Amino acid sequence: MSLLDVNALTVSIGPVQAVRDVSLTLEPGECRALVGESGCGKSVTAMSLLGLMPSNAKISAEHWLFAGRDMSQLNERDWRQVRGNQIAMIFQNPMTALDPTQTIGAQIAEPLRIHKGLSRRDAKMRAIALLERLAIANPAQRAEQYPFEFSGGMLQRAMIAMAVVCEPQLLIADEPTTALDVTVQAEVLCLLQEMRESSGTAMLFITHDLGVVAEIADSVSVMYAGQTVESGSLHGVFKTEAHPYTQALKRAVPSLENPRQLEAIKGSPPDLRRPPAGCGFAARCSQRMAICEEQPPQMACGDNHLARCWLWHKDHPLRWRQADALISGTPVWRNKE
Amino acid sequence: MVNFIARRLLSGLITIWFIATATFFAMHAVPGDPLTQEKAMSPAVRAQLEARYGLDKPLIEQYQLFMSNMLRGDFGISFTQENRSVNDIIREHFPISATLGIAAVLIALVGGISAGSAAAYCKNRWPDRVVMIAVIAAISVPGFVIAGLAQLVIVALNNAAETTLLPVAGWGSVSQIWVPALVLGLGTMAYLSRIMRASMLEVLSADFNIAAKAKGVNGWRLFFHHQLRNAVLPVVTELGPTIAAITTGGFVVELIFAIPGLGRYFVQAVQQLDYTVIMGTTVFYGAFLVLVVVLVDISYGLIDPRIRLHRGRS
Repeated sequence: MSLLDVNALTVSIGPVQAVRDVSLTLEPGECRALVGESGCGKSVTAMSLLGLMPSNAKISAEHWLFAGRDMSQLNERDWRQVRGNQIAMIFQNPMTALDPTQTIGAQIAEPLRIHKGLSRRDAKMRAIALLERLAIANPAQRAEQYPFEFSGGMLQRAMIAMAVVCEPQLLIADEPTTALDVTVQAEVLCLLQEMRESSGTAMLFITHDLGVVAEIADSVSVMYAGQTVESGSLHGVFKTEAHPYTQALKRAVPSLENPRQLEAIKGSPPDLRRPPAGCGFAARCSQRMAICEEQPPQMACGDNHLARCWLWHKDHPLRWRQADALISGTPVWRNKE
Repeated sequence: MVNFIARRLLSGLITIWFIATATFFAMHAVPGDPLTQEKAMSPAVRAQLEARYGLDKPLIEQYQLFMSNMLRGDFGISFTQENRSVNDIIREHFPISATLGIAAVLIALVGGISAGSAAAYCKNRWPDRVVMIAVIAAISVPGFVIAGLAQLVIVALNNAAETTLLPVAGWGSVSQIWVPALVLGLGTMAYLSRIMRASMLEVLSADFNIAAKAKGVNGWRLFFHHQLRNAVLPVVTELGPTIAAITTGGFVVELIFAIPGLGRYFVQAVQQLDYTVIMGTTVFYGAFLVLVVVLVDISYGLIDPRIRLHRGRS
């Protein structure tokens, strides 16, 4: 049974349909990357999965199971038991996500105090031990210090400690390396990988950095305009990208082997207050057909590799073309003339 | 830290010296003197009295005398209250004003922080609106009007209950503290709740607040451990001027509620040009406020570790 199984999650905040149809599954111990550009609904998805959306947000899902539990039925009291205990989150900016008035040690110990009922002393000891595992020198002294006395990389390690201290089954990392410089990024990624391997925690890794995805993820979901548009294994999505958006995204990444002009994706994402009737990407798509602008496509493609695109509809004549044609990134489909 | 306190106290001493000097000369620049009365006084009696109080000496000499006495902690004897030393007046009446003032500051702090936080939690919903309208009213209506209204309400309540629920005025029992303290603290409470609302709104949308929620922190623990401590600093900043406003603004309330505090002597002394009482009370209030401001500065560090001075290394 999957650890997390969300189908057709939709979240609207006032007039904005921030998340329109997100489907995600995570197996225990799996690391899934959630990729997409700014404003496509990645963070809203993450916050919804933690039940942290403000009360004016409307959330619904066809089904939403976590560890066999129907999460759409949870009240605030139940959520409190889940957050930080079964599902934990690492935030993008460690400089602002730690409370400036509390010591690092107290902040790491806090989930243990709340969820595991540990005494102040025992929780502090566990926090110090964890800091040591995360390669922070003088952990006992460091635990007594405040966030302003830590560097960015150390803060992100403290943040990881805060998230993993209760050994959650699922870790949501919302762009955990974006605010860090590149050398520290690699360090933090290594640590996350280590933590994941040693505790068997599943991870939902939100990022827009495709290089990071290749390094850490087992599987990938691509989001566009509030929808998952493609999902599959890392290899499947990155080597044989099926959705025109993923293809365009890959062409926008610089590469050493094939130095060429970067291609920006023309146009801009749709206004999510009035999402288009058809495919969200149709207006920017080089392979769009008449139907793309009229009807929303459904997830289709192979068994383990799904794309929300009419090109992969079972009645499309070219559906069974070999996927290697896609690798070159050449448009194999006929354009709408 | 010791260094910091020493520096603050030294600049405080200079402030007090300045207050004393300015008050001294301003007071003497006012026409008339404590001996001027409606009843005519024979020149001989007047000369004798002037000699007795040292008013016949040149102003500079009087100033020197006052300063040297002040350094010994002696403010002299009141002109209008025979044989009562200024020190006695302060000793007897300041504790009353201080009790009232502390009660008022406490009410203002607790009330302001609670109302401001509640308004921020319910931003743009009715509790927020109610608090903000009450704030405008409490800031705009002067204290003596509110004091009078409060007395009317007490009288009406007592009449309705046909017993004395609350005394209308006077001093001596605990029940006589709260109404004047509330009236005295109301304006400040309103002001503090506005500041608290703004800074709490900032905290509520801060990353660390969401991160704390993501850890499962909730309810009162979230409020006291994470939100309050971060949001309260601007309120503490206002605490110094607030205490000044409450202690010096207290005399109107003291008068209306017939409370024998120091404020009344302060005002009377100015009206009667009671030189020694004016100087004594002014310097005393000045010193008190300087001390309060230093204490507030020290309390910053206790609340926000980033301001803790002895840790500052960079």
